[in-house]
Amino acid sequence: MSTFKVLGKPARRVDAVEKVLGTARYTVDLKMPGMLVAKILRSPVPHAEIVKLDVTPALKVPGVAAAITSEDYVDHSNWGFPVKDDYMLAYQRVRYVGDPIAAVAAETEEAAEAGLKAIVLELKELPAVFDTQAALRPDAPLLHPELSQAESEPAGDSEFIEVKAKGNLSDHLIVRQGDPLAALAGCDVVIDERYSVSHQEHAYLETEAALAVPTPDGGVTVYIGDQSPFITQGNLVTTLGLPAEKVRVVQTRYIGGAFGGKSDMIYECAGQAAKLALVTGRPVKLTTSREESMIASYKRDAMVSHFRIGADRDGTIRACKVEAWADSGAYASMTPFTSWRAAIHAMGPYRYNACAVDVYGVYTNNGYSGAFRGFGNPEVTAGSEQAIDELAEKCGMDPLEFRLKNCIKLGDTLPYGQKLEESVGLEACLRRVRELSDWDRKRAEYARQPAGRERRRGIGVACFFHGCSLGAEGVDDATHIIRLGPANRFQIISGLTDYGQGSRTVFALIAAEASGLPLERFEWSAGDTDVSKDCGPTVASRSTLLGGNATRLAAERLRQQIVNAAALLLRCDAGAVQQDGETFSAGGRSVALDEIINFAREMNVPLSASARWQMPKIHWSFTEGRGVPYVAYHFGAQVAEVEVDTRTGKTRVLHIWAVHDIGRVVFPEGAKGQVIGGIAQGLGYGLLERVEFQNGYNTNPNFDTYLIPTAADMPAVTVEFVENPLSFGPYGAKNVAEPSLVPTAPAIANAIYHATGRRVRHMPANLERVLLGRDLVDSVVTYQDGVCERARCDVGGAADT
Amino acid sequence: MRIQFTLNGRPTTVDAPADIPLLHLLRDYLELTGTKCGCEIGECGACSVLLDGEVVNSCLVPAPQVEGRDVVTIEGIRGPDGGPSDLQEAFIEAGAVQCGFCTPGMILAATALLAKHPQPSRPQIIEALSGNLCRCTGYQQIVDAIELTVRRRAGKEVQA
Repeated sequence: MSTFKVLGKPARRVDAVEKVLGTARYTVDLKMPGMLVAKILRSPVPHAEIVKLDVTPALKVPGVAAAITSEDYVDHSNWGFPVKDDYMLAYQRVRYVGDPIAAVAAETEEAAEAGLKAIVLELKELPAVFDTQAALRPDAPLLHPELSQAESEPAGDSEFIEVKAKGNLSDHLIVRQGDPLAALAGCDVVIDERYSVSHQEHAYLETEAALAVPTPDGGVTVYIGDQSPFITQGNLVTTLGLPAEKVRVVQTRYIGGAFGGKSDMIYECAGQAAKLALVTGRPVKLTTSREESMIASYKRDAMVSHFRIGADRDGTIRACKVEAWADSGAYASMTPFTSWRAAIHAMGPYRYNACAVDVYGVYTNNGYSGAFRGFGNPEVTAGSEQAIDELAEKCGMDPLEFRLKNCIKLGDTLPYGQKLEESVGLEACLRRVRELSDWDRKRAEYARQPAGRERRRGIGVACFFHGCSLGAEGVDDATHIIRLGPANRFQIISGLTDYGQGSRTVFALIAAEASGLPLERFEWSAGDTDVSKDCGPTVASRSTLLGGNATRLAAERLRQQIVNAAALLLRCDAGAVQQDGETFSAGGRSVALDEIINFAREMNVPLSASARWQMPKIHWSFTEGRGVPYVAYHFGAQVAEVEVDTRTGKTRVLHIWAVHDIGRVVFPEGAKGQVIGGIAQGLGYGLLERVEFQNGYNTNPNFDTYLIPTAADMPAVTVEFVENPLSFGPYGAKNVAEPSLVPTAPAIANAIYHATGRRVRHMPANLERVLLGRDLVDSVVTYQDGVCERARCDVGGAADT
Repeated sequence: MRIQFTLNGRPTTVDAPADIPLLHLLRDYLELTGTKCGCEIGECGACSVLLDGEVVNSCLVPAPQVEGRDVVTIEGIRGPDGGPSDLQEAFIEAGAVQCGFCTPGMILAATALLAKHPQPSRPQIIEALSGNLCRCTGYQQIVDAIELTVRRRAGKEVQA
């Protein structure tokens, strides 16, 4: 650490001043002269055929400038990746409550609303299905009968996903090693349990918005707060039928949170606003209300999982068989990818002799599911880390000791055949979190609580691994440009987005470290398809690794250019130039950076460098369920201490200790903030948050009914990092943003069990589940005694039963 | 209708419909977009402003109700040099800002708290922030930033 000039030292977020002053303008704040307001007509039912759709009456409403449907696009606005099953505006059929059908642009919001009301829409309701198990029955209503003939696009150069689309099965991802059933039969101790997690809402505070402006050449520029400007551009090119050079996507400088949620839904907003702008020849702004956002946008998939894990009597884990069903909802969106990440991580970070994992993505009429921080891993880890706890208990071992005994260590081979050669800090994380939390003492003390005590304390642990970046999903690269800008500062130009996670600060710190120049010499810019290079999507916590490496390389090249220019001024060889911050010297003479820059401007010497960095290539066999899914992994362990009021079922989390191996700490306050923020979302996932679909209707679409943690719900959080540098990470860094929420919910669930002696295998562990062991809304469901008779009820609400 | 009130210390007159909330008056008629719209039902606190020194959700205040009263928005919170105040500076230093969308509301809630209780306890700070949702930070560094401000104002810690 001490060898770094700026990395790992206190630093200010480079874009914080505008945010604290309130001068930062987000997409929802943008306005233009002559701007029209767009509104979307959305499906009022979960599944229906569009019998009649006539928007011409809307055009007669005063103030309405345009009204469009899927007919106004190329190929009925069909888009989607990896499965092309979605539409900018519905074509022939709607598949969830909130599915967009038509769009109106008008002078005012009131006129736009009146326009929507004037649209003639006739729907013929179709049978719908609200749980994954029912959706897989042969007689289930089909959401995508047209996809029964498998159709998909290859993802990058992997053989990814031959989408099965048999019935409502959208995908099936596997991991295989040996014969787990035979191995389980030979185990001394086996646990066999079902777990479930609910749909989770991203709840980014800025709702979706897009401002589309027609350009004089017949093209369109879209200002938007998305996660991937080049994907937005690609979808616009496809559905609008315009060449790429006529479609420009400019990221708004400030984005009010994303967490995986500002992808597919916001691509649709872009497509709707852009078409209206092209039709009207005027700027068009589309903003969703909170209710509209929560109803129409995609969620974290709900999942039901079945774990069988076996061990020897001495506590050595031997084998597992995992099956899980992800509720994809109406469209595939990212579910094929989240299911793949779920499959890879389903066994947890342990050694196994034999295993089989099957994760199924299933279409239903419950909204739709897509990317959300953690991307499949929190869904399976909520189950696996409780299962491991249950297995430890059956083996008569302390759960933390049991994890230490079985966790993957440097040099181990993962069940799917990948040998881990570097940067494996899991054991160190577990040992450190044990010390920090005073685990052994509290574990023993709380086990001695009198049986009749009403407020009961417990302490639980969960550990995990999380593959860095996209892995074998596809090509994984980024290109950054650092160029001289106004005021003698250098602009870092990236196609990666900072929606609050702090990547632009990380890039500036890395540029300062690599160039030896002060941090203040660097400024950031927002993504722009006309200026930035395509860096791939801002997902999978890949910015630091990919963008950080590209920044480091570009900054090193920039430094060499500066040294070369200094050598011309100093009349010496470049090799003789010594740098001390902004001062460059040779032979007793020195020049300041500003002199060099002015000289370079006069002499037209370029001070601009770019660099591309690509992840090492790996291969995963999707048909064999073996290979190398990710080049490297983040590791971590969290301990939660809780107090459960057994009279009310209320769980108060008293403290969480989190220790994560992130390779290298670049931006300490930022990294810490990522962990605490992830823990807040994980706490919500474990205790509070559940999108309540009833017969496909989202019944809690605002913050009065969908509760996310407040300041008062949060415990004190202690964060520490293990630095286990990754050889090809920028200065050894891996990643932090996405993984931090993965172990929180199961750590809390394990602590609740320690406090009460009763397992809550179904998240969120809300009052009735903790108090009664079942849901009040559906008393038939039995969650106790290892049997979940109708786990599917937990997936889709009380729904179709 | 014509509404006259004091906005960030200045007498202000604006013509606006009577049936809009203060939030829209600020954002759409006065172009003060630092006040954010997050839920429009008074749950998230992104639209917090000070009304006669009390923190309120501006989405729930009918615009005509501010007639003759004193309103402070985030644009009215500044240090002596027009830059960040000590509280705003502490938010930056403590890592209390991520996406920044909740930040104006958080700063106004903290401003109201510190005006009444210059030496609040940590539980008092947490209570004062509990009407403001943040989805990014997990709140801890926001509470830290307010404590840092309290210590500095008491002269116990000098600004770096």
